Amino acid sequence: MTKIIVNGREVEADPQKPLIAACHNHGEHVPHYCYHPGLSAVGSCRICQVEVKQGEMPARVVAACRTPVAEGMVVNTDSEGAHGSRRECLEFLLKNHPLDCPICDKAGECSLQDYSFQEAQAEGRSSEPRRKLEKRKDLGDVILLDQERCILCSRCVRFMEEVPKSPQLCIGGRGSHSVVETWQDTPLSGNYQGNLADVCPVGALTLKDFRFQARVWNLTRVPSTCSECSRGCSISVEVLRNGEVKRMRPRPNEDVNSYWMCDHGRFSEDELNRSDRMEPAALRDDAGQLTAADPVDALRVVRNLLSVQSQALFLASPYLTVEEGEALSKLARSCGTQAAFFSPEPNDLRDDVLHTGDPCPNQRGLQEAGLTPMGSEEWAAASSSADCVLLLGERLLDMLGDEALEALPPTQRLVVMECRASDHAAVDVAMGIPNRVERSGTWVNVDGTAGAIRAARSAPQGVRALVELLADLTTTSGQPEEALSS
Amino acid sequence: MNDFLIILIKTCVIYGGLIGAAALMTLAERKFSAWMQLRYGPNRVGPWGLLQPLADGVKFIFKEELCPDGANPWIFRLAPILSAVPAMLTVAVIPFAGDVTLFGVDCGNLSITDLDIGTLFLVAIGGLSVYGVILGGWASNSKYSLLGGLRASAQMISYELSLIMIILCIVAMTGSLDLRAITESQNTGNPLSWNVFSQPLAFVIFVIATFAETNRHPFDFAECEPELVAGFHTEYSSMKFALFFLGEYCAMIVMACLTTTLFLGGYSVPFWEDAPWFIELGSFCAKAGFFAFLFIWVRWTLPRFRFDQLMHLGWKVFLPLALANLLVTGAVISLA
Amino acid sequence: MVIVKRKTLTLAERLYLPEILRGMSITFAKMFKPKVTRQYPEEPLPTNEVTRGQPRLRQLIDGNLACVSCGLCEAACPAYAITIDGQETDRFIEREPEKFEIDMLRCILCGFCEEACPKDAIFMSTELELAGFTRASLKYDIDKLKRTMPELAPRMDYIKRINERW
Repeated sequence: MTKIIVNGREVEADPQKPLIAACHNHGEHVPHYCYHPGLSAVGSCRICQVEVKQGEMPARVVAACRTPVAEGMVVNTDSEGAHGSRRECLEFLLKNHPLDCPICDKAGECSLQDYSFQEAQAEGRSSEPRRKLEKRKDLGDVILLDQERCILCSRCVRFMEEVPKSPQLCIGGRGSHSVVETWQDTPLSGNYQGNLADVCPVGALTLKDFRFQARVWNLTRVPSTCSECSRGCSISVEVLRNGEVKRMRPRPNEDVNSYWMCDHGRFSEDELNRSDRMEPAALRDDAGQLTAADPVDALRVVRNLLSVQSQALFLASPYLTVEEGEALSKLARSCGTQAAFFSPEPNDLRDDVLHTGDPCPNQRGLQEAGLTPMGSEEWAAASSSADCVLLLGERLLDMLGDEALEALPPTQRLVVMECRASDHAAVDVAMGIPNRVERSGTWVNVDGTAGAIRAARSAPQGVRALVELLADLTTTSGQPEEALSS
Repeated sequence: MNDFLIILIKTCVIYGGLIGAAALMTLAERKFSAWMQLRYGPNRVGPWGLLQPLADGVKFIFKEELCPDGANPWIFRLAPILSAVPAMLTVAVIPFAGDVTLFGVDCGNLSITDLDIGTLFLVAIGGLSVYGVILGGWASNSKYSLLGGLRASAQMISYELSLIMIILCIVAMTGSLDLRAITESQNTGNPLSWNVFSQPLAFVIFVIATFAETNRHPFDFAECEPELVAGFHTEYSSMKFALFFLGEYCAMIVMACLTTTLFLGGYSVPFWEDAPWFIELGSFCAKAGFFAFLFIWVRWTLPRFRFDQLMHLGWKVFLPLALANLLVTGAVISLA
Repeated sequence: MVIVKRKTLTLAERLYLPEILRGMSITFAKMFKPKVTRQYPEEPLPTNEVTRGQPRLRQLIDGNLACVSCGLCEAACPAYAITIDGQETDRFIEREPEKFEIDMLRCILCGFCEEACPKDAIFMSTELELAGFTRASLKYDIDKLKRTMPELAPRMDYIKRINERW
């Protein structure tokens, strides 16, 4: 560790990292565009200038992202000289950057906007016209490029080279004709394109999926964990005022995902915004129709089933949290059996960056909670011999498929606690539960790192958490009927 | 039978007129106050807002009847009646015009009854109206109402004394308690024979005392909005409040009629001793109307007195003056 | 200590009556003066370009709104009266409002939206009257909010003029 003085404070800095990282680590914010802590530093934007005094030499202004840390450095991030160079740098950047912030989706989280405001650099001296370039350049299914807004920081180019290691972007042209482009306009490919919109400090690279969907200051950000594979990337779920999940973005986490997440996880919000939610409780009536019922009655029916039927099969969804897994195994033990969770086949999305290919985000957590993994064949065998089957947790019906339910023996009773509505003929009792942005809990990822999921919105009216339902079933087993209604 | 019918018709006509006049007075109050403040006043209901009292009446009927928790329900209901009825009863003895002959039928004097002791009746019944105020104030179970009721009763009793002393002067001069006789004694065709010229001091005291007696500005301590919300009728709503309202305006009209009768020659027409009855009635209405207007005019001109000033004025100024006036009147009569 | 010297009153003053009569003569004279009340529905309130009435959206000559649904008025609105949803358009401005709603019951006519708008798309009109039979009917959508340029021209000129001072 190297000792340097930042703004009059002696701090310890990692000599392997540039000066800007040391400043950031100690709470002194230095503006930056081309520098990104997860990427190599090139020093192309020059906005990160700070004043450094070393030894007897006079103080000079240097780019903090390309300056290595040296013992005894005296750094002033707030000096007049540093601010002056930053202002001049901004004037150059704003020379060609269009002033379409009211239209731009980045507005509100745009570094250029923030630093212009911070440095009070709004007006330039140039009277030349701005560059006229392509405003809506299609870069594949995920990304749209606005070449006028680009400040040529080359973060996107470095990201494609360094993280997914598939260099597809480059800066073509020279001088004022430089633009970010792909080879002969080939569309981008790969599972990590979404990160380009995150690394872009301005609104040049934007997600097609999020284009004009919401103003970023209207979004509520809730830290959570990605559900789409057992990597369990830290994400922030961003919801609009009506509770709609508008986008999911990676949250820096050195232990798991560093600064990135894959497109498979990023664009999984459609499933969360589905409107065909299951009723708080539904029972099959005499006419054979599933009709809405009082949750208390539904719970009573389930409890009676569990006390009457000798062979109950508890199958949980792989999306259950550790807490829900514990509650379920407790209930299964009180019924004299062991609960299982559905362990789906690995998919072909596995790569060397983040995606593990295992769609279950809580494989390890559920096993530690006492649940046994169960594949499709085991499920087919176990379900045909059970008197009563309980399917618990979100997306389980989709994973099993309708054929699996049709294969169940007709005498068998089927209880489903799901998010998505189902009117399958085999279902006897159906209860709605909150999905993964409506409840809080813990998932344990493939490396054994715990990741919290947190409720970003409230569950639909009347829907109770699965832990509560399971706890009610456990505590009221074998008790008189009145205890349930109270 | 014929007499009974005539009296019945006269009763209906006079009470109808009284209630109509009271309704008109509420409109006049609002109109005149508006004009004095450079406003228009009610002008939406009917032509020039003439149907406004009707609209107010409908509104009163449809308002919610409230009885405060802890109030004495019977006295609470009785109080508005006690306030309105005496004020309306007293109008029975006031002669509005001389003998009326309609369609060849001699209907007698235009008053409900020609009571020999009309003045006494008037003072006695009028004195009852204080009960309405104090009972309403007490039965509401409210601090404001109670204080308003107390003030009103103190004030009415204080000024009643002076009022009676003044009436006594007139009675002494006329030698009769009959209001018709008092009117006739002034009905000589010469306006100088009106009592206002022989008793100017009594006239001034009487007019001021009527303001206090009817709880009108500048002596409206029974209501006194800044201090007592609305005084004795704070807790009243709907028709019960309307009865208090009616009582107040009837009392004003009665006092205006009484002032006319006692001091301005009642229905007498200047320089026309034997005027037909409808001219006499017009003369009476004009005089009484002026005093009714005076009530409104003073209300929208003067600020309210302080309660101690009111008591000071009543007991230390008006009562000695009225007594002295009575003494001088007696002396003059016995000497002459 | 302050000693207040009170004026000794003359007899006429102590009698009150002359002063009372003087006061009554004043009120009587006022009864015949011209009235100052404005008879509101028949005589509407005078409005000019400074009048800050309900906010309205400016329509361009081609009939489209000038609004790009940037959401600044929504963010500036202290009463949370404005709700905007944007959508993509083929026009040059790329983004236009899909839904632009002002809850007139919440609007406090403060004019912050007009001040915040970077595109001169929202202006305070001279329209002040607001009445409806349901709350929902007073949630104005684009159709109720849009106004042509001539209708908003005086206010636009006024805003331009006062902004030139800075």
